[in-house]
Amino acid sequence: MIVAERKPMDEILEMVAGCKKVLVLGCGGCVTVCLTGGERQAEMLASQLNLAAKAKGLQLEATFDSITRQCEKEFFDNLSETPGDYDAVLSIACGAGVQFMTEVYPKTPILPGMNTTHLASNVEQGVWEEYCRGCGDCVLAWTGGVCPVAKCSKSLINGTCGGTDNGKCEVNPDMACGWLKIYERLNDLGRLDEYRKMRATRDHRKDRGNGVRRLVLAEMTEDEEAGNE
Amino acid sequence: MIDRDLTSADVAELASPRELMESEWAPCRYNCPVHADVRGYIELAARGQFAAAADLVRECLPFASVCGRICHHPCENNCRRCDVDQAVAIREVKRFVCELAGAGATVDKPVKQDRAKVAIVGSGPSGMSAALYLARWGYRPTLFEKFPVAGGIPVTAVPQYRLPRDVINQDVDWILSHGVELVTGCEIGKDKTVADLLGDGFEAVIIATGLATSRMLPLPGGETPRVLPVLDFLTRSSFDEPVDVGKNVLVIGGGNVAMDAARTAARLGATVTAMCLENEQEMPAWDWERDEAHEEGVSFLHRRGPVEVLLEGDNIVGLRTRKVTRVFDDEGNFSPEYDDSDLQDVPCDTVIMAIGQMADMGFVEGSDLGTDDRGRLTYNAATQETSVKGVFAAGEIVTAPGSVVEACASGQRAAKAVDLYLNGRPIEIDDTLPAEIDKIPEATAEKVVKVERHAVEVEDPKTRATNFEPVDHNLSPVVAALEARRCMSCGGGAEVLVDKCAACLTCLRVCPFDIPVVTDVARIESSLCQACGMCIADCPANAIIAKSWSQDEDLRQIKAKLDAVQGDRKIVAYVCGHHSPATAWSGTLEDTIPGVIEEYLPSMARLSAAQILHTLEQGAAGVIVVACNEGADRYPTAPERVAKRVEQVRELLGEIGVNAETVQFVSEADHGRAAVREAMELAADRIEGKAAVEEATE
Repeated sequence: MIVAERKPMDEILEMVAGCKKVLVLGCGGCVTVCLTGGERQAEMLASQLNLAAKAKGLQLEATFDSITRQCEKEFFDNLSETPGDYDAVLSIACGAGVQFMTEVYPKTPILPGMNTTHLASNVEQGVWEEYCRGCGDCVLAWTGGVCPVAKCSKSLINGTCGGTDNGKCEVNPDMACGWLKIYERLNDLGRLDEYRKMRATRDHRKDRGNGVRRLVLAEMTEDEEAGNE
Repeated sequence: MIDRDLTSADVAELASPRELMESEWAPCRYNCPVHADVRGYIELAARGQFAAAADLVRECLPFASVCGRICHHPCENNCRRCDVDQAVAIREVKRFVCELAGAGATVDKPVKQDRAKVAIVGSGPSGMSAALYLARWGYRPTLFEKFPVAGGIPVTAVPQYRLPRDVINQDVDWILSHGVELVTGCEIGKDKTVADLLGDGFEAVIIATGLATSRMLPLPGGETPRVLPVLDFLTRSSFDEPVDVGKNVLVIGGGNVAMDAARTAARLGATVTAMCLENEQEMPAWDWERDEAHEEGVSFLHRRGPVEVLLEGDNIVGLRTRKVTRVFDDEGNFSPEYDDSDLQDVPCDTVIMAIGQMADMGFVEGSDLGTDDRGRLTYNAATQETSVKGVFAAGEIVTAPGSVVEACASGQRAAKAVDLYLNGRPIEIDDTLPAEIDKIPEATAEKVVKVERHAVEVEDPKTRATNFEPVDHNLSPVVAALEARRCMSCGGGAEVLVDKCAACLTCLRVCPFDIPVVTDVARIESSLCQACGMCIADCPANAIIAKSWSQDEDLRQIKAKLDAVQGDRKIVAYVCGHHSPATAWSGTLEDTIPGVIEEYLPSMARLSAAQILHTLEQGAAGVIVVACNEGADRYPTAPERVAKRVEQVRELLGEIGVNAETVQFVSEADHGRAAVREAMELAADRIEGKAAVEEATE
């Protein structure tokens, strides 16, 4: 899932400065699952803004709402509140939701309440760790199911580097060396032959190197030109 | 579980989520013959709202105080707590709240009572219940009673040590105050006939005369006046008429009425033996009745059948008995067999015949009421009509012998039939009920915190067997509330709104009872849910609601209380009520702290971080969370979870420049009122910055 964390409150207060009415909008997708951007968090953030307004003597009133997903236009029909009635919408969806909503409501400022961080799995209650960088060129088949792009701080395609230190990464001593994990996993699988192969550099055109990426399913599109922006 | 997926749109249409509880009933309510909202009144008692609890009992149960004493309590027998430790002492809690309210319970009498006049023959539980319901619906019911007082068998034949007269009068007076007329000393069939009633302006009649005559056995020697029919004996004793019970009494019968007779005779100074066909396990009396009789010195003679009353002149000298070889046939039908070679003479000077009751059919005299070949009143069980148009029947005259609460149910149903009849509508009564919540599974029962059932104080057998004072005592207010808090709120717990659920698994992770199952969305089986509210407080999608409470309703009440506070200090203390005095929860404490509003919750499990923030939004200058210590909350893990929620709120407040000390957490809720009060005072000072200064000075 996509993980996003709430922005620092100072930044949020700066964004909404000058607004009298703000709608905090939760998203029922990934950010609900990682407990940062659901309806409850929208409710609590609105409450926090109201309390902040009271404490600081601001003319700000916040309410909240939430929809199933902010990255699909049909779900906006389910809003209880009308974004146009507000000076701004503080979206606590991921960056995709915020931008998409901006396109749906071009006349209303849609502000990001979150910093979108990573693609994660829930490793324990309350902990979501990065597992994927969305590089567009998956190598997990020959890395024992451990991603060198996400789990190595340098995203090396041929590791380890010289900075591995007793299983920890030189970039962040709290972080496990991703390449050591790959080695151990391949060793367990009896596939160290894969480790010894020299891999070609990644094709960065599949990552961010070739501009905005789109998934176009011809069998589902209604418009012949759908693949093109 | 609601039998379809529930959405937020469905809930928006409800006046209160409590309506959802009507789709499935807890076993206490389902198995109660009048389907009283047991969970509801026990919850009110748990909160110390005793008067409201009594009113809720009386909504469905007219003989509430009587049933508090003598009900056979199918609610308790079916209580799901039986599979955890012991049933909640529902009857004792009911007894406490109803007797506390007395006849002063709320009377819901319509402004206009100008509908048809209805005559009710007999003022026992069924007749009076019918009268109450008819009065509530604007009819003018009149009860005709042959005895000088109303109440039926409870007043004429239940001994006062089990059911004091003033307790019965609470119910009778309360029912009469609904505009029910009472004519005593009038025996229908003798002083007036049913036909007279119909010609006298009554548009319908309900026969509710019960089983008012004792069955007798045609034993040789049995005609002697010292063979007493049990109801005559008990009635004379009830009305304090002198009864010469002799010195050596033999009671024939193994039912509850026989036990009443035996215990009454013992109180009148006789040596008493109770003889019955059945062995100890087979005898129909309740175990506790038998045990209490035994404790009071009654001897038992099992598996003996009466043959002949042995006389010397006019005096009884004994009863010849024979051995019973079986009581029931292979199909379980009553079909006793005897061994006539095994005879035994039991010495006695008085015999009380307590082998059952039958109808006194005297009311048929002078009417066209039909009877069947066994002399029973002709009756249609579906419509409760007799063979005469406009004449109905209710209670034991037409049902199997039963208990007071069953008679009440029959009377209520007769009132419905009469209402339909008088409105010219077909008499079609829908008796279908909502589903019954299943038994609690073993895996869940194991996780429920065990709490010993609170026992009532019982008089010492040696003392009690010498008088007609009550055998057992009412619970105290403190114990009544504590006992009520043993209720598991079956059916009052969580429901998932499927349109909101993101299947995030949080409910599954925080539930102390491992109840939620997450497939497409979370599924929370309401028959398993323990109604702690943990998942509701922690759900990130606001996708779980409780059926028996709502945060919005709670916050509305808190807002009203905050608005009403005089003075500068406005602090809300959320206190775990599980160990608190009833007076604290019901808001009748005398030692409240000025400006501190105490809000009691059954557990801290349901207090969400959002609710704490909203409380501040509504004008509270601070919030104090008073949790139990770990292990003392009624739900496992609740104090730890709420401590984390408080910490989260303090961080959120810090972010917006509000002092984190605005929200205080203390763990004193299970340490008694004095400790709770002291902790709240200190916390309030911290909120206002006073304690912090003191600490700094130190």
